[in-house]
Amino acid sequence: MTGEHYDIEGLAVPRDMEQLHDLLERASTEHPHIPASDVMMFETAVMELANNVVEHGRPVGQVAWRFSLEVSADSLTARLADSGEEYAGWDAAASHDMPGEMAESGRGLPLASAVLDELDYQRDGASNVWTMVRRWQA
Amino acid sequence: MTEWQTDVSDGVAVIVCPARVSMAVAASFRDAIAAAVAQAPKVVVDLGPTAFIDSSGLGALVSGLKTCRQAGGDLRIAGAGEQVRTVLRLTNLDRILRPQDTVEDARRDW
Repeated sequence: MTGEHYDIEGLAVPRDMEQLHDLLERASTEHPHIPASDVMMFETAVMELANNVVEHGRPVGQVAWRFSLEVSADSLTARLADSGEEYAGWDAAASHDMPGEMAESGRGLPLASAVLDELDYQRDGASNVWTMVRRWQA
Repeated sequence: MTEWQTDVSDGVAVIVCPARVSMAVAASFRDAIAAAVAQAPKVVVDLGPTAFIDSSGLGALVSGLKTCRQAGGDLRIAGAGEQVRTVLRLTNLDRILRPQDTVEDARRDW
């Protein structure tokens, strides 16, 4: 079965973000056609974007998010929307730049970019919206 | 709160990681490495149980590596699975944290 949607929501705190692991695991179990390595890398990207919302969401502790996932025959598409103030850190051109090896931060978005076919940020009304796509050979 | 199991023997501290080394536990991971270094500056991080690591966990590993080296030791990683190895490679961290297959391999010649 493809074309199925999953939706969950929560607050931008680390505990609530853990639900995303469970959702992706459920989607993977229910759709065995998705290659395990693609789920794994997609999950990596999703959690980096989720962390980004926790880390940069303002006001702290009051940002709500909604995550939707769509499974197709050859791709996973996720949309992560949050109610926080506009995210100022997005630079599509620089999103692939991996920091130096001894850096202790700054790898989140470059890592997400590296494992996704598409990563996009839009400010939509009062929401920040991240769109993530990973495709495979069906 | 994640409990970090640390065993020290023959001058090497081994820290066993949980299933997910993510933002929720990154701060306590840093603390666990610092506590281990205080006992032995040669630290092996056992990622055998870890199915998932994120960039916060990677940051804690780099921080731990620096802490160990400042104390005259080093940090090695062991038992990394597919996700951890892929993420290390994509972030170029496999250049400074070369994954060893087992804790025994990591302890060898140390």
